[in-house]
Amino acid sequence: MLFVAKRLGSALLVMFAISIVVFLIFFATPGVDPAARLAGRGASPEVLSQVRHAFGFDQPLPVRYVLMMDHLFVTRDLTSYVNIGDKVVPQIMQAAPVTLSLVLGAAVIWIVLGLGGGILATRFRGSVVDPIIMVIGIAAVSLPAYWVGEVVNLITQDRLHDSVFSWVPPLGYVPFAQNPGQWALHLLFPWLTLALLYGGIYARVLRAELVTAMGEDYVRTGRAKGLSERRILWRHALRGSLSPVVSLFGLDLGSLIGGAALLTEVVFGLPGIGKLTWDSLQNLDLPVIMACVLYAAFFVVAANAIVDLLYAVIDPRVRRA
Amino acid sequence: MPAAPLLEVDDLRVAFRTRDGVVNAVNGLSFTVGRGEVLGIVGESGSGKSMAMYSMMGLLDNPNATVTGSARFEGTELIGMPLPKLNRLRGSSIAMIFQDPMTALTPVYTVGWQIVEQIRTHEKVSSQAAWKRAIALLDEVGIPDAARRAKSYPHEFSGGMRQRVMIAMSLACHPSLLIADEPTTALDVTTQRQILELIRDLQAKYGSSVIMITHDMGVISEIADRVIVMYAGRAVELGGKSQVVRSPRHPYTWGLLGAIPRPGQRGQRLATIPGLPPGPHDDQIGCPFRSRCRFAMDECSEMPQLRATGEAADHLDACWLSGDARKSLRGEIA
Amino acid sequence: MSETILRADDVVKQFALRGRHRGTIKAVDGVSLEVKAGETLGIVGESGCGKSTFGQCLTRLVDVTSGTIQFEGTDISKLSRRQLRPVRSRLQMVFQDPYSSLNPRMRVGDIVAEPMRIHKTGDRRAIQARVADLLERVGFDASMAGRFPHEFSGGQRQRIGIARALALNPSVLVADEPVSALDVSVQAQVLNLLADLQDEFGLTYVFIAHDLGVVEHVSDRVAVMYLGEIVELADAEELYASPAHHYTAALLSAIPQLDGEAEPERERIVLTGDVPSPANKPSGCPFHPRCPAATEICRTEHPVLHEEGGRAVACHHPLPLRVLSSAERGA
Repeated sequence: MLFVAKRLGSALLVMFAISIVVFLIFFATPGVDPAARLAGRGASPEVLSQVRHAFGFDQPLPVRYVLMMDHLFVTRDLTSYVNIGDKVVPQIMQAAPVTLSLVLGAAVIWIVLGLGGGILATRFRGSVVDPIIMVIGIAAVSLPAYWVGEVVNLITQDRLHDSVFSWVPPLGYVPFAQNPGQWALHLLFPWLTLALLYGGIYARVLRAELVTAMGEDYVRTGRAKGLSERRILWRHALRGSLSPVVSLFGLDLGSLIGGAALLTEVVFGLPGIGKLTWDSLQNLDLPVIMACVLYAAFFVVAANAIVDLLYAVIDPRVRRA
Repeated sequence: MPAAPLLEVDDLRVAFRTRDGVVNAVNGLSFTVGRGEVLGIVGESGSGKSMAMYSMMGLLDNPNATVTGSARFEGTELIGMPLPKLNRLRGSSIAMIFQDPMTALTPVYTVGWQIVEQIRTHEKVSSQAAWKRAIALLDEVGIPDAARRAKSYPHEFSGGMRQRVMIAMSLACHPSLLIADEPTTALDVTTQRQILELIRDLQAKYGSSVIMITHDMGVISEIADRVIVMYAGRAVELGGKSQVVRSPRHPYTWGLLGAIPRPGQRGQRLATIPGLPPGPHDDQIGCPFRSRCRFAMDECSEMPQLRATGEAADHLDACWLSGDARKSLRGEIA
Repeated sequence: MSETILRADDVVKQFALRGRHRGTIKAVDGVSLEVKAGETLGIVGESGCGKSTFGQCLTRLVDVTSGTIQFEGTDISKLSRRQLRPVRSRLQMVFQDPYSSLNPRMRVGDIVAEPMRIHKTGDRRAIQARVADLLERVGFDASMAGRFPHEFSGGQRQRIGIARALALNPSVLVADEPVSALDVSVQAQVLNLLADLQDEFGLTYVFIAHDLGVVEHVSDRVAVMYLGEIVELADAEELYASPAHHYTAALLSAIPQLDGEAEPERERIVLTGDVPSPANKPSGCPFHPRCPAATEICRTEHPVLHEEGGRAVACHHPLPLRVLSSAERGA
């Protein structure tokens, strides 16, 4: 219990530190006058100082930080510099479910593919099954997601759209609350595209871990105990081998939800966080960028905290530390 | 008619296919283990002593290894036995403990869980009954506060305590044969003493047979009834413990015993065996020891059979030296 | 009596612990001893008793927390790395693991020559000649200098390690478990080599090992360590024939005996339990929880190492000394 509290405490601390760093980079960088960007092009000095005062830019740094956080999290009325009037927080709130739907759905698929592939390859080591799975894995890893996405689109939306894939809806996103069936149908190919890449990585990582584990002394003990190969693999070797997969999963999930699924989002026309971040970067829309970075950092840190807790569940040796 | 031996090993061979040809790690090993007997197998690293046991138990998972010969346990052939059938024997009738207690237990389960798993693999008992037995076993092997400690993980035990856990687990299904592969090598001397006493007590209590594999003649002396001395995959000497330790017949055994520092010989030179054990790729015709043996003769280019060369019919060795000459020759070494 | 060449006074080595058991442990807890020129001092003890750490303190491979180490008359315990250089050439260490203590990417000749190059003992040719000489001295052909460590077996590697240690003509060699990774027959070769080298070069050895048989064989005097302290120190013969400390007695009785070996009559003492962690060292005598003779005073009062007639023991209730027969003495 203490372990859990400690871990969550340190996660909060990291979040706080990140928010300060992000704030300093974006709003205290010499030469960048946020007020000028906020007031729009060609604003008069009076307007500028007015804006400066309204947003607290004339206050000392710590106060500005607090004000900014207040705008972000408490009053949630931070507005975009570019599309004046667009509030930042609702924008993120709107984009987040799209990314979450994409990434979580894909994660389920790639975990099944990755674990299944890794276990199957280990189980049939020495037969043709193992190298076949591993070759598929490396192929999946090597194909860029946007290219796969484009090819999938080409086939399902264009070439074979009139015959085999007539059931595939046009690109875009339908909220789950609106129509769960359409939600899944719209996301099916994005899921598969994203899962292909990660499934390949996970299968290879897990196989490597399992093969190492199957050479451990405790596996020999298991055989000497008269356990079946299946039980040794599932109960003894697999559990220890999951640790690296879990940590990989935490990192991947955090960064994907945080916006790293950008290419997949763009290819399939999904208005998610990745796309939002990309657009705001193009326009140097500081409030949106900062919100996106903080949002991403939140998921990365949260995922890491969860990974550490999972670690402790999987491996009792970690609990002491 | 004397009772059939518990284990009868005949011409056991383990060959590995390697890039440089076939390597015989075990090269025609034959021996028997009687009921209630403790057989010690002694040899240096690479002598094939552990390999022989692993091959018998189907624990060699190297795909390049071929095992030939025969090993009959209670009349049933172990070599080539299908895995499901072998799995019914392993852990129930034949149990094993290993050298390194630090790595032999799965780190992510409690020791009680692992003993329960052992019991329930072979017997149809309820989980509660199995837990009760696991705790009783841990208590029996001298783990204090067994009921609580059963819920501890392997890393929470010391090396000696883990080896006790391994012993408790191996005894869970009352095996008639326990194969102990260097069980005390990784332990400190006082802990080694505790473990040897424990194995001896339990062996006396349950009457199981034990095969004790070790490199330590002292350990053999403490625990074995009979001894096999192995060198380069072969048995070079086989006999009762006192026969082998007190009046060894093979020059390799002489060297091995002479190399042990003994009380009362402080500061004196130790008898050494010149050179190194043959590598796996050295030629395997003839007596494997002849390149290091100071008594090597022409006959040694042919492998001598393991046979009785002295008065005792049950003290065998594989050496061409004439029985009478041995006593004086041994004097030269020591 | 010959002069003292290496002397430790109240040496303490403390390590900081992290994690849940935050705090410090004393791996070496106030060890004092003298090593006389030309002798072999054995240090025995079970894993975790601090013998290796103490060996590293002696050679200053680690810094000591407190106490002094005098080598050939100078206190080396507080010397800086640079100041230690000339000392290092005279005070060398041989390690346990012949597989990891030699750089696998260096040729054997370079491994042996390296200390000489660092200390600039001569020109290239002189060093080369010395390497050949050293390799021959430990039983190799000089042509082996061009090979890599992986081409050698464990015993051969240990001999290479010894050749390297001898390169700078040391006066003292601290050997930490030099033979424990080796097979018996190979172990005997290395022990004989060490004995020959000692005779030839008049070396002084500090021989650290867990194997009491080996330590008795090579040592003139033996120190027994338990939980970072010396509990007994005596002449090897006397110690083995008649231990005064109960821990020494238990250790000796635990050595597996060869069948039919004539041994001093020894009661078999089987210790219960494990060595406690140095992190929670027992009060009073560190051995009292496992000692068959422990009384109240052992729980409360820490016994000091008390010397009498060349024997030192730290025990409130030492075992009675058996007078050695002349035959045993002669052995």
